[in-house]
Amino acid sequence: MEVRIEPCYPEIDAHESRVIEDLKSSSTQPIAEPSGWLDEEINRNILVTTVDKLLNWGRKTSLWTETSFTACCTFEFISTSSSRFDIARFGMEVLRSSPRHSDLIVTAGTLTWKMAPQIKRVYDQMAEPKWVIAMGACGISGGIFADSYSVVPGYNRILPVDVYIPGCPPRPEALLAGIEKLRKKIEQSSISNKS
Amino acid sequence: MLSEFGLTALFIVIVLGFSVSLVLIPVALRKPGIVPHNPSDIKSAPYECGLDTIGPTWVQFKIRYYFYALLLITLDVVIIFIYPWAVELHNLGASGFWPVVSFLAIVGTGYVYAWRKGALEWK
Amino acid sequence: MAELILFPASIRSELPFGFWLHLAIFAIGIIAILLTSVIIFIWFERRLVGRFQLRKGPNRAGPFGILQSVADVIKILTKEDIIPSRADKFLFWLAPVIAFSPVVVMLAVVPVAGGALLADLDIGILFIIAMSSITSLGIFTGGWASYNKYSLLSSMRVVSQLVSYEIPLILSLVGVVMLTGSLSLDEMVNAQNVPFILLQPTGFFIFFIASLAEISRSPFDLLEADSELVAGYNIEYSGMKFATFYLTEYCEAIVLSTLTATLFLGGWQGPWLPPLVWLLLKITLVFSIIVWIRATLPRLRIDQVMGFAWKFLLPLAVLNILLTGSFVAFWPEAPSWMIGIANLVLLIGYILFRSRFFKPGGVTVGAS
Repeated sequence: MEVRIEPCYPEIDAHESRVIEDLKSSSTQPIAEPSGWLDEEINRNILVTTVDKLLNWGRKTSLWTETSFTACCTFEFISTSSSRFDIARFGMEVLRSSPRHSDLIVTAGTLTWKMAPQIKRVYDQMAEPKWVIAMGACGISGGIFADSYSVVPGYNRILPVDVYIPGCPPRPEALLAGIEKLRKKIEQSSISNKS
Repeated sequence: MLSEFGLTALFIVIVLGFSVSLVLIPVALRKPGIVPHNPSDIKSAPYECGLDTIGPTWVQFKIRYYFYALLLITLDVVIIFIYPWAVELHNLGASGFWPVVSFLAIVGTGYVYAWRKGALEWK
Repeated sequence: MAELILFPASIRSELPFGFWLHLAIFAIGIIAILLTSVIIFIWFERRLVGRFQLRKGPNRAGPFGILQSVADVIKILTKEDIIPSRADKFLFWLAPVIAFSPVVVMLAVVPVAGGALLADLDIGILFIIAMSSITSLGIFTGGWASYNKYSLLSSMRVVSQLVSYEIPLILSLVGVVMLTGSLSLDEMVNAQNVPFILLQPTGFFIFFIASLAEISRSPFDLLEADSELVAGYNIEYSGMKFATFYLTEYCEAIVLSTLTATLFLGGWQGPWLPPLVWLLLKITLVFSIIVWIRATLPRLRIDQVMGFAWKFLLPLAVLNILLTGSFVAFWPEAPSWMIGIANLVLLIGYILFRSRFFKPGGVTVGAS
């Protein structure tokens, strides 16, 4: 039996380019750094500081990373998670493939506009609370491709980035320092500090 | 002996209650805002690595282990016969051994037939 | 004192409200010990796998990182609960319960000391076999109800593994039953003057491999193959429902270790130390072997998994039944070392014989 494939590629391509153009035109400005993540209502809770401390400790100690890496900084992440640098010391060796299970998205590498809707969708589908680390020069500003028509100039155009790690690529020590910064940030994310 | 079954049944009820409460804890914690809850259309769509899902999920498709499942049903019944025999074998002695050997031989013939027919290949 | 803590059935009838006291002590005890050991064993596995890979493993949370799993629990408990809009809502909620409950219930018939167990069922082994099949149904329900193509495929694989490995698993225990002459686990432990692993190495071999497949641990963790199935059957589950599945996996591993320790390693029996300590030590030993296997072996292909069960383990299990049965039927007073040696010869001979058919280089295991 002959399987006929419908020639529907032009429509799919057109749809994809529409989605990308929409995203491109709607994200010309960087998204501001998020400061708080708990709901406003918890303000009314008396136990707030104790609860906060416990939750923050739990959340900073088990940051599970989503495996959605776009480009070459990934290899620095892999080397960070293997024997010599051992990200597992912070309880982070659990790499989950599903955004439902993960807390952290490390945007390792260059992001093209073609890939941007997918990354945004993965971030949108992550269960809250969630954090973003922009890793590498391309993740921060587009790096050497900043002027390119096809490269997103920094992840903060589409995602609210928490920590930026410079370098091209950042060394594992830099990544660990960035993770340490994120842990500090999670620790301080109590209601009283919320602006 | 009945009391042992009663204990088991009560334990099953306790464990069921425990696991139901385990699953319901986040619902209770949602009220004071400890568990965040911001549903959206994209968030509750199926996750397929960042792409839209195409077509329905609940479709008929070939599961490939139809023959295995048939053999499982046959052999499961056989096992039910073997267990009481195994318990009483040291009392039955040799007279209880040969009937089950012939029984296993019949089932084994069917197994060899299924093997030769290719029912045990993953196709 | 130890008598009272372990609460054997003999003193149950002497106390007022003995029945309810017995139920309360054992129900709370089993659930508490199981959950505590899950938390410790998750940390233990992560540390051990770290050591196997020349890493340190989690060591920041608490002393030696022992609070790592506690942090995981806190985090995952307070994570958002996502319910897919197109999922079958009722089954989506029900699936973790179906998966988790039978694993805990299995421990009801496992003795922690002589006569000290929740319910001394005279069909203990059958009860365990029945309960062990239900967990896979829970996983299948979850995968189907999520309305996700990957989780559906993954849950289909669960059923295929269940279908394949159930037969060898059940048949491997027949040898133990024949040597004991009872289906009660309490009497099985009492019968083990010599641990059954020495008398039934073939049965142990089949039981251990088949139960690794039943609980989908490495190298049979096809249902969680990241490269093919994203995250497996629990891809749409988040928060506590995902944690319940995660808990189920580890509880299964611990219950498997408990059963292996009880059926083949002499259970609570052992000199000097209290029975419960011996049981926990043996559980830790078996669990470490499971972690060792996980750190060593790569994942198998699905046709290899199925072929291994149907073409390798099943004939071996039947041969084991015939060998042990002929000893029990014709020569009941045979010295136990002779049964053990005959069984070991069967195992080694079978592996050597069958490995003639195995060609390294891609041919399926057990291809004729």
